[in-house]
Order: sequence, then C-alpha cells, then structure tokens
Amino acid sequence: MGKVIVATGRGGAGKSTFAALASEYLARPKLLIDLDPDESLADMLGIDLMAEGKKTISSALYDVIEQNRAAGRTGYDLLSAVMPSVLYKGKEFDFIGLGTKFTVGCYCAPDAVLKDFIPTLVKDYQEVVVDSPAGLEHFNRKVVVDIDDLFVVLDPSEKSTKHIQRVKDIIKEVKVSYNHLYLLGNHRFTDEAEEYLRSTGETYLGKIDYDPDVRRYNLEGKSLLDLHQDSPAALCVRRILMKAGYELAK
Amino acid sequence: MARIIVVTGRGGAGKSAFAALVSRFLNPPTLLVDLDPDLGLADMLGFDLGREGKRTVCEALYDVIDRRKKNISPAITIHDQMESLLWSDCLYEGRKIDLITLGTKLTEGCLCAPDEILRRAIPKLAKNYTNLVVDSPAGVEHLNRNIVSQINDLFVLCDPSDKSLKHIGRIKEIMKQVGIRYAHFYLVANHECTEEAEGYLKNTGEVYLGKVDYDPRLERYNLEGKSLLELPEDSPACLSVKSILAKTS
Repeated sequence: MGKVIVATGRGGAGKSTFAALASEYLARPKLLIDLDPDESLADMLGIDLMAEGKKTISSALYDVIEQNRAAGRTGYDLLSAVMPSVLYKGKEFDFIGLGTKFTVGCYCAPDAVLKDFIPTLVKDYQEVVVDSPAGLEHFNRKVVVDIDDLFVVLDPSEKSTKHIQRVKDIIKEVKVSYNHLYLLGNHRFTDEAEEYLRSTGETYLGKIDYDPDVRRYNLEGKSLLDLHQDSPAALCVRRILMKAGYELAK
Repeated sequence: MARIIVVTGRGGAGKSAFAALVSRFLNPPTLLVDLDPDLGLADMLGFDLGREGKRTVCEALYDVIDRRKKNISPAITIHDQMESLLWSDCLYEGRKIDLITLGTKLTEGCLCAPDEILRRAIPKLAKNYTNLVVDSPAGVEHLNRNIVSQINDLFVLCDPSDKSLKHIGRIKEIMKQVGIRYAHFYLVANHECTEEAEGYLKNTGEVYLGKVDYDPRLERYNLEGKSLLELPEDSPACLSVKSILAKTS
C-alpha cells in the first residue's frame, strides 16, 4: 500500500514546483497525479502526454461517453475503459493528469473518475504524489480521502494564514483524513513571515529558497527534473522531506 | 447597464490585487464580485463582512437549504429566495465599491450551486452599477461553468512562465467551446515579469496592456492584511493600474 502525499495551497504558492522536485527523491515505484485542469505538471516534468499516445482523464472520459452514446451502451467499467489510455508509464515514475475539458460544467465527473481510481492505484506504488489545483474545491470534492502527508505550500500573506484554517475546517467537515499536515514557506518568505508560520501551532518544515533556475526553467517550459541537484530549491526540498521523515532515494 | 470586467489568470498571478485596484479607479458605483472560495478580496479591501452583518453567498445558500430540510421553507424557489437574500444579506455596501463574496463551502460537493446563484444574479446586479468587476478563482473551472457569459473587458493576469502562455490558449479554447463572449481580451503582466517575459506576452498576438510594477508596499499591505484602498495613489502598483486602464477604451 503506497504512501499518499498531497501538495496543496493557494494559487501560485509553488505546489507544482514542490511536487515535481519532491518526486525525484521518493522511493520507486511512484505515481504523480496532476489534479489541476489548468494542467502544467506534465510540462514541469518534461512529459509530452500526446507524444506518448496518452490522454488526460477529462479527454478520455468524454471520449468514452461519446463512444458509448454512439454505440447505445449504458453501464461499463470505467476503470478498464479509461485507465490504459491515461496512465503514462515512465522510467522513473508514472503519471496521470486530470486535464482540461472544453464542455460546459464543473470537473466533478473527471474528478470522480480519479477519486475512484486512486484507491486501486495506491496498491501498485510505493509513493503517490497528488498535485492539487489552487484553492479549496478539490477538498470539498474529496478526491483524495485518505492522505498520509499533506503539504500546504504558502506564500507570505495574511490570506495564506487564513487558508490554513480553511483547509482544516473543510477537511474536518467533509471527513478527509490525514496523518500529517506540514507547512512549507515559498521563496518569498522573509524571516519575519517565517516566524509567523512557526507560531501557528502546525508543523512548519521550512521554506523553499529563491532559485533563479526554477524561474528560468518555468519561463522556458523546461523540465524541473533537469535542475541541478545542488540548486537552492532542490536542496530545500530534500531538507524538507528529510524533516518529514522520508528516506530519500537519491 | 454596467461594464462587465472579469479578471482571471493562474494562481498567484495577482488577480485580486488587480481587481481591487481597478475597482478603486473606475467610475463609481462599482460592484465587485469575489468568486474565489478561498476568499481574500474582502480582506484586501478592508471590508469586514461579519461586522456589517453580511454573509457570503455560500453561508446564505446553505442556511436556506438547511431550513428547507427542516421544513420551514417559504413557498418560493431557492433561486427567488436567494435573489432577495443577495441584496439584503450578501451585498456589502462600501463608499464607492460594493462587494459580494462567494465564500467558502464547508460541506461535501462542488461549488456549482452557489456559482449558479451568482451566474443568474450578475446580469440583474449589473443594471445598478457603472462597473461590475469579477475576481475569478485561480484556474479554469469557473470558465467551464460559464458564470459570466457576456464580458466587456477580460483581463488575464500573467506570471512569467510558459504555463501562463499555455493558460492563455487554454482559456480561449474553453470560452469558445462553452460560449463565453467578450468584447476585449487584454493581457497584463505581473510584477515578477522581466523584460524577457514581457517580450513573450507581446508576441502572443493578443493585446498586451503592460505590467503591474513591483510595489513593496502592496506586498506589505497583503502580509499585514491592510486595505489596498489605502495604498497611496502614487505608489507603483496604483500608477501601473491607472496607466493600464487608460489604455482600454
């Protein structure tokens, strides 16, 4: 049974950067899941799903719905219908992306597919990393119900500190369980703002230092996995994972 | 009928600060609608909803639903009841700017129901204002939901990343498919954009209006939870927003 790791936070805090960098140090076999319909984790990991002949959950789901409508079928096993086309199998890690949909309506349906898949998937991996979309709605939807480690990535603002409480309120109400909740500061944290995170009563694991290479890679759309092992961001992520009790693969 | 302005973009690009400052420099009366469940706009404007006895749309809606479950509902539909509650309970009236906030939902399920209340209400609310400014949540789902289907000015806030460029293409495609119409599509760079990053934005073929300059005071106000309405008019962020607005029609 794999360990389920979720990265969450307000928009732009650095969730995907953390998820991408952390994935390098986790034990194999590992699976990365991008829950954000404004998909970008694949790019940050240097995966071209289309070139690999893979679809996102959204596109696979709506294809299956179309095909079934055309064939007049009702009832089918979504897992066997969708899974082979969405699971990217890489050398270092596997990957599934929720993907954008281009029809009217919310992402409840594609989210529900992932919610159903995750308990099955978890059995096949040592570690499963979920990169959340910005905001809170994914918690209301209970896409991931049983979390081992929840990493909340924060930017230095009063909104962030309110965000922590909101996350806790929602997951308590909707009954998402977690073993650990860890706070991380992003590169914009000053010492003063960090001090504040230490005083929240939550476990603060440290900040991810400013890294000009991360910035450049993001601008150019390059994979963060090519980032040098000794770059500031990578070093911080290693340190954070060690504090959280991970045995690093590298 | 108000000019309908929607501010959107990836997370952390600076949508809320931009929406707050835009509202400040538009001709009043302006209505601001905060669609982000991880609410921040009220704080950024120094509006204390609770003290004024105001509620978020989620709070009002789930209270109505609870009451109906207990069988003490009036003989009108939820939508009609919510329409009147929006005016009486959810509309915060400021000096020049009014505000309606979607709010956080604590129960299981998506935000389609509260979003739907606002989707129906926005064209009606718009009749009473000169400008109606919508601050979107991060990401794309609010566009799939087609909450605001007729937009005058759509501002897309961009951070310096390839992800932002892809985001622009993605939202255009979603809006086309779900039938959102807009008169103007404007790109705005956030303070993190370098000249190189601005160059990318200028090359997209979209109308690029400029960048919101770095403003240490704005950063500090955000950290301390101070109102952006008090940011001095000659501070870099205010000057940038004014010059960006001057470039629109």
